[in-house]
Amino acid sequence: MANPAKTGTNLLYALIAQARGYSDAIIMGRGDPDFDTPPHIVEAAKRAMVEHHADAVPAEGLLALRQAIAERVKRVNQIDVDPATEVVVTNGGQEALMLMVLAALAPGDAIIIPEPNYNTYHDALKFARVEKIGIPSTAATNFRTDPAAVRAALTDKTRALLLVSPNNPTASVIQRADLEALIALAHERDLIIIADDIYDLFIYDDYQHISPASLPGGKARTLTLNALSKSFSMTGWRLGWIVGPADLMARVRELKAAITGGTSVISQYAGLAALTGPQEPVQMMADAYKRRRKIVMDALDEMGIKYGVPQGGQFVFADISFTGMDSAELAEKILTDQHVLVYPGAAFDKERGQYIRMTFLQPEDKLQEGLERMRVAMKNIMGTH
Amino acid sequence: MNSETKSRILDLHRRNTLLNTPAPSLMVTGAMDFGADERYAPIDERMIATAAEALEAGQTHYVDVPGIGPLRAAIADYLRTAFNGQYQQANVIVTAGIQESRFLTLQMIGDSVERVAVPEVVHPGVKKALGVRPLQVETMAVDAQGLPPIAEIRKALEAGNRLLFLESPSRLTGAAYSAESVAAIAEAAAQFEAVIIWDQGLAPWAEGYVSLAAKAPGQTVAIGEAFPGMGLASWFIGYIAAPEQWIASMQSQKQIMAICTSTAAQYAALEASKLAAESHASQLPRLNAARQALIAALGTTEVIPGATASVVALRLSAGKKQQVLKELQDAGYNAADGADFGMEDVLRLTISQDSTALLAVANVIKGA
Ligand SMILES: Cc1ncc(COP(=O)(O)O)c(C=O)c1O
Repeated sequence: MANPAKTGTNLLYALIAQARGYSDAIIMGRGDPDFDTPPHIVEAAKRAMVEHHADAVPAEGLLALRQAIAERVKRVNQIDVDPATEVVVTNGGQEALMLMVLAALAPGDAIIIPEPNYNTYHDALKFARVEKIGIPSTAATNFRTDPAAVRAALTDKTRALLLVSPNNPTASVIQRADLEALIALAHERDLIIIADDIYDLFIYDDYQHISPASLPGGKARTLTLNALSKSFSMTGWRLGWIVGPADLMARVRELKAAITGGTSVISQYAGLAALTGPQEPVQMMADAYKRRRKIVMDALDEMGIKYGVPQGGQFVFADISFTGMDSAELAEKILTDQHVLVYPGAAFDKERGQYIRMTFLQPEDKLQEGLERMRVAMKNIMGTH
Repeated sequence: MNSETKSRILDLHRRNTLLNTPAPSLMVTGAMDFGADERYAPIDERMIATAAEALEAGQTHYVDVPGIGPLRAAIADYLRTAFNGQYQQANVIVTAGIQESRFLTLQMIGDSVERVAVPEVVHPGVKKALGVRPLQVETMAVDAQGLPPIAEIRKALEAGNRLLFLESPSRLTGAAYSAESVAAIAEAAAQFEAVIIWDQGLAPWAEGYVSLAAKAPGQTVAIGEAFPGMGLASWFIGYIAAPEQWIASMQSQKQIMAICTSTAAQYAALEASKLAAESHASQLPRLNAARQALIAALGTTEVIPGATASVVALRLSAGKKQQVLKELQDAGYNAADGADFGMEDVLRLTISQDSTALLAVANVIKGA
């Protein structure tokens, strides 16, 4: 039985540590793409090490990179920002997330969080002493966040609304009508929107990613995060950004100066190469995820496991309630039995113990093998349970 | 847009004087900039080669939150050899630079003891880090060199503070605690079972330096840049070395706000760890000579005595300081304003090895 005291990030780290003990482990948990960073980006970093190793970098980041970010969010997200005052470069999406929470909220405030959601948001809120108001969703509706449920949950202390689309771990994408309703609600109740677009380049079927800041009434009250970690397979470089209205961004900049002071110059030049260089590698990876998504969905169908159909992102959130087991217990059993690591839903939200998250961040053959082993593990576990 | 929510939060931020403390820039912008924290330092091509090889070999993914094992071990090793610090790999967290070291130590250890005492004169980054989340902050008065005397440290401990932040050398004046003072601080820390965050980032440039880590390992949380003077300032890489009981909370906060430190910087720093001792030994006399030449050229201008070769702090009347700052600026130079550190009548010059520019600066100051 998994240790019930282990929840959230601690639970994940205990499982990761266990998986490391197996030489044949297949990791279908961690959100780290299997692709290495495209070589032209590595080449640009090497050049920067020689030519720019001692460039002075302001806390908000190099202007050239901020300009490239402004062009990117214009081209991909239809968000208009001034690179001089409305962009701050960060140490990955993770630092961006913490900065957005600290810039938008004060201790004692509350924020609406569709659940389940990326667990670091919970940790960041705890650090900032901000209250979370969770809006639950289920696989049956592909984890849709219902604007009516958001309205019903608002309190006098609610000052912000978190929108992660595509979402981690549910892979749901917020549809236009819902987004418009949520922005109207934010306007009516004067909420700041914290938007996380980190998976915006990985969208499936006919779904469409829309940035809240691109819609009428959105920009002036929205801070939007993105990073190169997932889109360019650059998790180890720690490069992300926030864009938003100049007044809030001035505070983001001050907070960035107080937390880390700046972002590594080499990563910034690597990021510049990623944003301004060839975009084919992103398409190649997006195509691979599309194929892998189908492999995972087919395998789950075969195992009789229900899930929310992934509309975007790099994972599937599957309902394991039919096993009668808690997700932490099941994840530990699958890991012990067949050395396959899937993430327990309880790590994202303690109310989400009936789900597991599986990523498609493995080469196809390895993914196939992992799924086959998982099928064997499920059979063994269900046979003895 | 008229938003009460925004006005309210912006107003809270505006009134946050700690967060808004002005700070010098980290890295010099050119040969005429003497105001930044870090002077220009060339980078050894072996560091570039190691970082490039790691990236080419696929070290482009997330790595362990507290840093790659070999770098943690190398930093522990460096702290043992250079400062007699009693640290192993498990005691070390690699950070994304000195500011992250300040932030993680002050906020996370501060959270567990609820209040912290800091010197009246300290790098503005300390105040900024404290401004991120409310914590009870008390100040310790300082002597003419910008260091809290032992009596002040004892007073803070007697008043119930169990977490103190100290810089040695001072990031403003370069003054460092003597061996006797360090022994006295160690004794006081042990007596009150207090934790001292000890910023020793400038230590490689201070002759005869004694670290608190050597005298009170169980009480000291040492922070600094990883291998200063090795050309990595803009790569943002630093360390925290602490007794193991403090590591977990800082590591979990690092996970929440960063996941890990950039791999390129970590591999470059790993190579720097092998080159630092020799490089520091050759840089130190040159910096000292440049500093002495500057002091000589400054003539009667009062220089605050300090053991650190990389900074010169001048004491000027407030009016004179403003005039000097302005004239330096008009001539295209830059210096750090002591007011940002809490010492009104001081101006700091970061020493570079370019003696012509240094002497020109001395002339502007003398002429003002
Ligand atoms: C929704 C979301 N936001 C932010 C992040 C942080 O990513 P990084 O810091 O690697 O850029 C992640 C990482 O998994 C994520 O899933």
